[in-house]
Amino acid sequence: MTNLGMLATWFPEAASTHAAQLDGPFMQVMMAALVVLVVFVGLAIAFVMQFKREGQFPLGSVTLRTSLILRVLWVVAAIGMGLLAAGAGFGVFVDRTEAPFASGTIIVTAAQGDWDFAYPNGHVADTLHVATGTPVRLLMGSKDVMHSLSIPAFRLDEGVAPGRLAETWVEPTVPGTYDLKSNIYSGEGFAELRRAVVVHEPADYDAWLAAVSDIFAGRTLEEVGELLYNTQGCAVCHTTNGAALVGPSFLNLYGHEFETESGETIVANDAYIKESILTPNVSVIKGFQPVMTPFAGILDDKKIEAITAFLKTLSDRGGAPEGAVDETAVDTPVTTETQQEGN
Amino acid sequence: MNAPVSNPADMSNPFTAGSQDSWFHTMDHDRISTLFVCWTLGAFLLGALLSLWLTLKSITGEAGDVGSLFQIITYHRLVLVFLFLVPAIPSILGYRMLPQLIGADEFAFPALSRCSLRFYVVGLGLLILSILVGPVATGWTLPTPLSLGANPGFGFMALGLFFLAASWFVTGLNFIVTVHYRRGTDVDFFSMPLMAWGLYLGAYQLAFAGIMFAIVVMYLAGGQWTGRGLFGEGTDPLLWQNYFWFAMRPAAFFALIPAAGVISAVVERISRKEVTGYRLVVGSMIALLGLGLTTWGVHLAGWGQDAQVTFAFSILALLGVIPVALIAYCWLATIYQGANHLPAPSLFTMGFFLMAGITVLMELFLRSPGLGSYLANTMFASAQMDYLIWGALMSALLAGLHTWYPEVTGRSYNASYALFGGFLYLAGLNLALVPHLIMGTRGVAADMMVLEAGSSTLPGISLVGWSIAVLGLLAILGNLGRAVTDGEPAATD
Ligand code: HEC
Repeated sequence: MTNLGMLATWFPEAASTHAAQLDGPFMQVMMAALVVLVVFVGLAIAFVMQFKREGQFPLGSVTLRTSLILRVLWVVAAIGMGLLAAGAGFGVFVDRTEAPFASGTIIVTAAQGDWDFAYPNGHVADTLHVATGTPVRLLMGSKDVMHSLSIPAFRLDEGVAPGRLAETWVEPTVPGTYDLKSNIYSGEGFAELRRAVVVHEPADYDAWLAAVSDIFAGRTLEEVGELLYNTQGCAVCHTTNGAALVGPSFLNLYGHEFETESGETIVANDAYIKESILTPNVSVIKGFQPVMTPFAGILDDKKIEAITAFLKTLSDRGGAPEGAVDETAVDTPVTTETQQEGN
Repeated sequence: MNAPVSNPADMSNPFTAGSQDSWFHTMDHDRISTLFVCWTLGAFLLGALLSLWLTLKSITGEAGDVGSLFQIITYHRLVLVFLFLVPAIPSILGYRMLPQLIGADEFAFPALSRCSLRFYVVGLGLLILSILVGPVATGWTLPTPLSLGANPGFGFMALGLFFLAASWFVTGLNFIVTVHYRRGTDVDFFSMPLMAWGLYLGAYQLAFAGIMFAIVVMYLAGGQWTGRGLFGEGTDPLLWQNYFWFAMRPAAFFALIPAAGVISAVVERISRKEVTGYRLVVGSMIALLGLGLTTWGVHLAGWGQDAQVTFAFSILALLGVIPVALIAYCWLATIYQGANHLPAPSLFTMGFFLMAGITVLMELFLRSPGLGSYLANTMFASAQMDYLIWGALMSALLAGLHTWYPEVTGRSYNASYALFGGFLYLAGLNLALVPHLIMGTRGVAADMMVLEAGSSTLPGISLVGWSIAVLGLLAILGNLGRAVTDGEPAATD
């Protein structure tokens, strides 16, 4: 009936510790159920065929007393079937209720037509990425209607409801890309809920997370600068429209001359801007208080470069000839010295 | 057709006036049953067409418009469950046989028999109206908050389901009261035929689920309309699911109880002896009724229900293996050394054993705490519904129809056509559903094999199976229909 190839691909690939533990019990229940079915239906057919007596006996002429032992055996077998089913994968059932200590948490948010997977470092992706040998806890909730998080390769299907956070966890074992979807119809955008779960080797996973958490990917330097301006708190003290707040406005800042409290005149070139961000209170612009947060250790060179690029877009001297910028950049050693003195 | 019962009291009652000779006003249980045969099989045909359409869509791979796909999924299940699975046996065989089984000449409330039929027809009409106005596409469990979304047809559908549930309730009430107060003087409660027991216990399910569902579906409609109330915006989606399954677990899944009653009667008939272990069967059926009313939570396993709660319900549901095994044992013991005859009823009884056996054995997977939640929302679960509806219930109904057909119509059908159709039907059905089981274990969402189109040959195999099954069914029903006019006069038993 069923060819062998079909049996071999009966189950989807088992790519988690739980999946591997569930397939065996499933097959056991399957085999037991087949035996019961064949015995029951087989006996019934055999009896009907063997005792076929067309019109021989009037109704009720034969009565049968069955032996008690047979009856008890039959019920015991039935209870055995029930116990087999209750026990099948019971370890996994219990195991799944609580994630191992210290596993990372990915927050899964379902919505019509959208999955969001929020990683421990705050990065949000639309596919689930996990690492082999690393248990990860999944906290699942829905923004709108009922969904389910179904990952056949992990033998996992959990209801994802609005108003409650369901919890489960997985420990992937085999690297690869597997299906992830919802098995509960959720209206608009149901087809878009078909996503993937990518299982990496741990090292690849770290590399992946670092790479996607990279804000430079897919953005120009200026855009990254603007993003940092908005997300790192600069906007609290600096405007981009010329009005001074706690700090001077970023409008027409780059390339212009400023007088410091100590009476020096400085040019806001790349090196000076870098110095102002890392150790702002070393040379304070005249008319302002030395209150700016030092960003040393928070913003690296690349991000400062991005901010500088953003500042250039806000300045009428932003397009200063390359040469001029390079010339001032020679001053960098001095700045570095100042920075060291400042510390 | 049997002559309507003439009850002198009817003449003076304006409520029953004209019921003597009109098929529209009739309150005669035999006529009600005959009308139910037409309506129920008509509704089943509608459900069958929707199922075929769904399968056809699955192999042509028209998954693009998921919304319209879900309209079909929703209605094919609603029609098959609300119009066939739950009411078929009580309304077709129950209305015909129950009075005769318990030595009564009519039901306690003949007007309620008519009322049940009318509610059924109104419900069917409203359901079809909702398809025309704007089909609902939520899946047949109507989960909140998805079902609260704007949809023009929803009100009609809810009202239709209200009437259908009310129809069950009325039937259930009628059966219970009739068994209690209209039993013949010589018919003791514990000497009632097993089929009467099955119908009687099934009537509790109908009455309970009917009244319960009629009320909550109105609350749901109110919630959909106003966005507030018990199931309105912001309420826990599990609340509706609990109420839904509280009614549907006994009504739909334990529709096997009246079916078991029918099969017991057929087994007695084909073996020409009384069922071995009468009290065992009755006790088991009562136990099953109890389990049906208390295990609704097993259907919430894949919906974010707490693990402890799921576990408790699972164990309770798995206790069902004991009464089921006892009943199966008694049937086997009855057939053993029976003077077995009547080929067509025997075939459908074996069909019932096979299909109900598969349905019940699938419970082992679905109610297992470990395996259940992975399978709960997949085609494994929807295939179980299909095994239950198309397999177990249809087989029991056909076994019953083929057993009593000669007595009821006074004519005999062609047995070899019945056997031919029966074999086609059972073989085709398994060919159709085994691929569903396989896809279910692979995690394909319930009823949604269309989304897997192209990735495997299984939907194609399934379509071939469905076609064979439907052909077989048409052969069976055509054979019965033809015999009404062309059949040989039946030899009396
Ligand atoms: C707590 C308020 C505050 C925050 C937050 C702040 N600054 Fe400042 N910033 C100031 C003040 C006050 C000055 C002027 C005094 C000084 O130079 O230290 C200043 C000066 C500067 C200067 C030199 C301006 C000039 O005219 O030469 C630059 C460049 C600068 N900030 C960049 C930034 C960047 C980039 C950020 C965000 C990463 C930031 N600041 C966040 C308060 C702030």
